[in-house]
Amino acid sequence: MSKSCFLRIVTFLLCLALGWQFWKGILALEPTQIIIGPAAHYIESAAEETGATNIVAAILFDYRALDTLGEASVIYTSVCGIAMLFAKSKFKISSTGLSFIVKRGVSFIIPFLLLYAAGIVLMGHISPGGGFQGGAVFATATILFCIVYGSGFEAVMIKPKTKELIESSGALMFVLIGFVGLWTGAGFLANIAAGYPKGEVGRFLSGGSIPLLNIAVGMKVSAGLSTIFYSMIKLLEFEVTKHPGVKNK
Amino acid sequence: MTIITLSHGTAIILFCIGLYTIISKRNLFKTVIGLSLMESSVLLLIVAAGFVQGGRPPILPIEGIAVNPLPHAFTLTAIVIGASDLALALAFVIKLHQRYKTVDLDKIRGLRG
Amino acid sequence: MSALFYSFVCFFLILTALVASEIKDILSAVISLSVFSVLLAIAFVALQAPDVALTQAVISSGLITSLFLVAYSQTQKEGRRENDEE
Repeated sequence: MSKSCFLRIVTFLLCLALGWQFWKGILALEPTQIIIGPAAHYIESAAEETGATNIVAAILFDYRALDTLGEASVIYTSVCGIAMLFAKSKFKISSTGLSFIVKRGVSFIIPFLLLYAAGIVLMGHISPGGGFQGGAVFATATILFCIVYGSGFEAVMIKPKTKELIESSGALMFVLIGFVGLWTGAGFLANIAAGYPKGEVGRFLSGGSIPLLNIAVGMKVSAGLSTIFYSMIKLLEFEVTKHPGVKNK
Repeated sequence: MTIITLSHGTAIILFCIGLYTIISKRNLFKTVIGLSLMESSVLLLIVAAGFVQGGRPPILPIEGIAVNPLPHAFTLTAIVIGASDLALALAFVIKLHQRYKTVDLDKIRGLRG
Repeated sequence: MSALFYSFVCFFLILTALVASEIKDILSAVISLSVFSVLLAIAFVALQAPDVALTQAVISSGLITSLFLVAYSQTQKEGRRENDEE
């Protein structure tokens, strides 16, 4: 048999051996039937200490909020890298999008999509959801807009500068909300101890700074993911005529 | 008990499939697909490690026992970070295609510069 | 969720991963990866994790698939005229 075939079989056997060693290691762990440690404390006292009903949101934005700040920085770095890779390319011609029926149909759907995204972001402390999920749905709505109407039309409607502004202000809002905690002496990104109102558990206006952090993260994630898509699609050329709304740069 | 064992076994098999795809495929898109498979397998492993038999989702009010909410927080972070670095890897693939006019790894290595 | 249903989901997870890894056509591999993401979201629901399932379904099978398709269509343009700002 040829050399590449032989190498493939060797690779396959090595991966199998690695998998067998993983299996032996995982069998040594015992499955937990009761929860001990910090997770038990979070489950018991998340409602009194943070005012949020969604325990995962309370962990992400109150107990471990510094990790969420790091994750927002990772998204920011990735968006900067992609925008830098495609910085010199400007689109000259963009498509005119799909047919008239699709455009009219999508124009009925898009307000409900945006409402759905806003609902997921704002109700993040009560039901499953939050800033990341709502931001991703909002970016998907922007991508749909770009596909159906053409990337030139989308760049005229929501300029790239506006997206940069929204993303940076989302990041700044996160850090400023944390600084309020430093100012009152309770620690960076503190929630109830920094003076945010706790409210009644289970109502919409509750949770202290968790809804504000959700909004900030939602702004950052939506603008970042939309910028990523726009940077990668603006190179595509089609043979149709220019879109009437786009200036030829 | 059985659900956790099934999840562990599936995660290990997916990890090995992803690793094999990254190592031994020539197309650059297959490399990115393999990266995505490896990340997804680790997410399945983390969430299954926090599963408690007969547990309910960690949203108050809970009737009975709740599953461990800490792995869910880690997994949310990991999904978003994985999506960002997949986007960056795809941007690199596009740039490589613009430079070398191909996405075949053997030809790129042979054409060196 | 019974163990039988969960074992079906795990079997199809492995099957779609194998298809995404071995098939020659890139478009079919990308679609198979998208199906894999949706099945993984179902598995997360079976593991009682609704937050994680929502995130996985939206990000992986919505955004990542569209980014893959954009990258795939960018690399099929050999022989056409390129941008002159390169």
